Amino acid sequence: MTVSVRPLCVAALVLAAACDETPPTSFSESLDAQLRRSIGPWGVVPIAAPPQQNPALVALGRALMFDKILSGNRDIACATCHQPAMHMTDGLPLAIGTGGSGSGPARTLGPGRSFVPRNAPSLLNSTIGLFYVFWDGRLSRGGPPLPEVTLPAGLPNVIAAQAMMPVLNRREMRGGLGDVDVFGNPNELAQFPDSQATQIWRAVMQRLLAIPEYVTLFSAAYPGVPPSSLTFVHAATAIAAFQMAALMKADSPFDRYLRHDDNALSVEEKRGGILFFTRARCVSCHGGPFLGGQNFSNSGVPQLGPGVGQGAPLDLGRGELQNNAGYRFAFRAPPLRNVELTAPYFHDGSLPTLESVVAHYSDVPKSLREFNPATLPAAVQSSYHGDQATIDDILRTLDFQLRTPLQLTETEQRELVAFLKALTDPAARDLTALTPASVPSGLPVP
Amino acid sequence: MFGLRAVCSIALLVVVVPAGAQVIPIKTIPIAQGDQFQIFPSNNLGLGGVSIALADSVGDPFINPATTARLRGSRLFSAPTVYSVSRRAGGGRSLPLAMLARRATWYGGLALVLQQVDPSRPPQQGGFIAVANAVPPSTAEIPGPDLRAHGNEYAFGMIGRTLPGNLSIGASALWTGLHALDGVDLLYSGSLRVKQTGHAVDLRMGAVKEWPGERGARSLEAIVLHNRFAATHSVLFADRVWDPGLQQIVSQLRTDHNFDHTNTWGGQLKYQVPLAPPGWRIGWMLTVNRATHPKLPNYEITNVAVIPWDPGRSYAFDLGVGLSKVLGPATFGVDAIYEPISSYTWADAMAPTTTLGGDTIATGGKTVENRFRFSNAVFRIGAGRDINLEGSPKMVGLQVGLTMRSISYRLLQTNHVELTQRTLRTGWFEWTPTWGLTLRFPELELRYRGRVTKGAGRPGAQFVSNFRDFALAGAAILAAPSGPLNLIDVNTSTHQISLSLPLH
Repeated sequence: MTVSVRPLCVAALVLAAACDETPPTSFSESLDAQLRRSIGPWGVVPIAAPPQQNPALVALGRALMFDKILSGNRDIACATCHQPAMHMTDGLPLAIGTGGSGSGPARTLGPGRSFVPRNAPSLLNSTIGLFYVFWDGRLSRGGPPLPEVTLPAGLPNVIAAQAMMPVLNRREMRGGLGDVDVFGNPNELAQFPDSQATQIWRAVMQRLLAIPEYVTLFSAAYPGVPPSSLTFVHAATAIAAFQMAALMKADSPFDRYLRHDDNALSVEEKRGGILFFTRARCVSCHGGPFLGGQNFSNSGVPQLGPGVGQGAPLDLGRGELQNNAGYRFAFRAPPLRNVELTAPYFHDGSLPTLESVVAHYSDVPKSLREFNPATLPAAVQSSYHGDQATIDDILRTLDFQLRTPLQLTETEQRELVAFLKALTDPAARDLTALTPASVPSGLPVP
Repeated sequence: MFGLRAVCSIALLVVVVPAGAQVIPIKTIPIAQGDQFQIFPSNNLGLGGVSIALADSVGDPFINPATTARLRGSRLFSAPTVYSVSRRAGGGRSLPLAMLARRATWYGGLALVLQQVDPSRPPQQGGFIAVANAVPPSTAEIPGPDLRAHGNEYAFGMIGRTLPGNLSIGASALWTGLHALDGVDLLYSGSLRVKQTGHAVDLRMGAVKEWPGERGARSLEAIVLHNRFAATHSVLFADRVWDPGLQQIVSQLRTDHNFDHTNTWGGQLKYQVPLAPPGWRIGWMLTVNRATHPKLPNYEITNVAVIPWDPGRSYAFDLGVGLSKVLGPATFGVDAIYEPISSYTWADAMAPTTTLGGDTIATGGKTVENRFRFSNAVFRIGAGRDINLEGSPKMVGLQVGLTMRSISYRLLQTNHVELTQRTLRTGWFEWTPTWGLTLRFPELELRYRGRVTKGAGRPGAQFVSNFRDFALAGAAILAAPSGPLNLIDVNTSTHQISLSLPLH
């Protein structure tokens, strides 16, 4: 080997020695990589466009939704507690049923009336395909029959089934024995015993079909069905169709992000999203396609209101249902799309803002113990159950994931709120166009 | 155990040029690329591909058209080439037919190549237990994976002339119709199919000047080239969405169009000098590339920090020195190349984007900037010997060689939206043993060349049965869309048989 070759061989050895594989140094992931990885396991998917509904069915459902004719005293419509201006809820901690006056957060109880025990949930995305309806989930897809009523056959979905219920409820729409309607006439719907649901629905239909415009609307929606064969199932089906056509609002920035638009979320929202799906553990209850709606949790919510059933004056939530003692104080984790628009929060509306909700989850035991009822509207302050025994009772069955405080920093809380606000479909911000100018009964539109 | 390699960045520049040509490849991920572009015959393939101080009598005309002047007569070539990626991860085959001819001072050549590239698949793992994915119903017919091989076509033309003073000049063009780039379909995680369409054009002008001397000729070779590559990847995904009408999760088809455009200008100078000892030559090489990337594809690999790429530009250099000895039947060659590369890419804001600091980046502004600094090295060595068969005009030639490539880079990524800066230093090492066998008859040359490249990998899918990878949605168990992806070590094997016939 000549002198010329030696340097090359030396270079080769140096090269080979230098060429040991270098493991990558730590390279922190981008926010998008972290967020997408953290979303991955939780079955969170975007929502497809809802199916087209029969326009005649939707028109009938819209009229029914806003018509107080459905209530025994002709003084409250579905839309009274589910107002377009309030994003299909009422802005109150606890709903105010028949006998009340005013609308939205300014609505007040009528003389001798009491609050509906729970918050009126928003109807936004109610037809998305929820598995459980109502705060205690007593109505569910394929679940056991309702304890208080036997639903008729022919209901197309769980939301149509839900629409059968408020007209039966004395506190919400039907009224009490001896009530008279807004014209001073006896409330015939209130005369039926609670067990006679079929007769009540039939009586409501008699009211509706006595109005020629409703006959026309029903005929257009159900052209093959003679008026004598129409039942309240047809009315409830139309209400559900209206909800599907008008209230599906699931094109939020987060949904666009799920559809691979990395620019749909801001940095703060992405950071909040990472918290939501990881350290803050929100996703453990608010996962799946709806970001909730699939399970129940005792989230240590302050007790408020007149209470429900055997547990009154407390509200045991799902624990009130038969064979569900393990769910004491547990309520349905609501789906979170558009949550920004549907304050106040929890089953009794006890927390007024998203900021207060996130602060509550940061340290649930402390939040419950230190809850200040002065933050509540004056009308419900007196119904707060803040005694030590009740608080201890709630904490005894607190969701195990909430027992250890998350200790979220202020920045983290702000980021989580930003993420929750990114769940808002811009089209849901102003729904006032849904309110009709008039309804077939001629009663005032709420 | 299979070698699993977590990767932290993605970027891969694809250039369509004859293998070993003067467009410097840039890789930021140790992904195995099939030997797709080894489409022309090469004598030195079995010698580790040494080229700086050792001429490749068969392969050089396809690299520098002016070197065709060294051709003694007209010849017809064919070089069927087969490559395969281990673990049944892919493969392909090429059939070129080439003719080089000269008449007086003019010479020229034509070549046509037909190529078939198999679909790339995740590397097969022994003992792998398949886990059935719950496939949701769909709103459209979901096509299965594309198992067909796809074809590429190459057309090459070259013309040159020998001028007085031992100067030769030539020009060549290579056009490629692209329908399959090996491995691309694995770079879109979760995709159903990737349809590739595109073309590439490689134009080059070359010159060779020789100065005869007592110990042999000194030579200077020069090339100027322009390479344009444009491909579109139409990537079909089946997205899972919740259908409020059917009240279940369904699949919806989505097609993403990813564009991959790179234009390269390059030049190379190669100078060879004979040394005092008989048969020895030394050579130096300088290659310069300037590549602009009007659009780079955004690959998606699960579990990998995706670095956004949009436009960008790169400068790449090869500084090499080589030594060779051809004395009688023995051939020896060695190359050492230092390859510094700088690459700058960025992502454009598609819409006004608010930064973490509250500022707004206007549409078209840079949201992320990536600055790569490579410090690569290549070492090639090979030796061969021709053996005359006694009593016969036939001859047998044997070759062995080795190519070693070290890739090492530092990435500085600045995110103007998140107001963060990240640094990555990484590298890997690929080595390629080569071998060759030549049978030389009076009127015919038959060559076999082979090589295996080790040290790179391909993305594979791992199914994870951790409960956190599933989410309960009603009655259905929804499996996570895909498991984490890793690079699984694979080898790329190439076998080429070339035939060279004189044309009378």
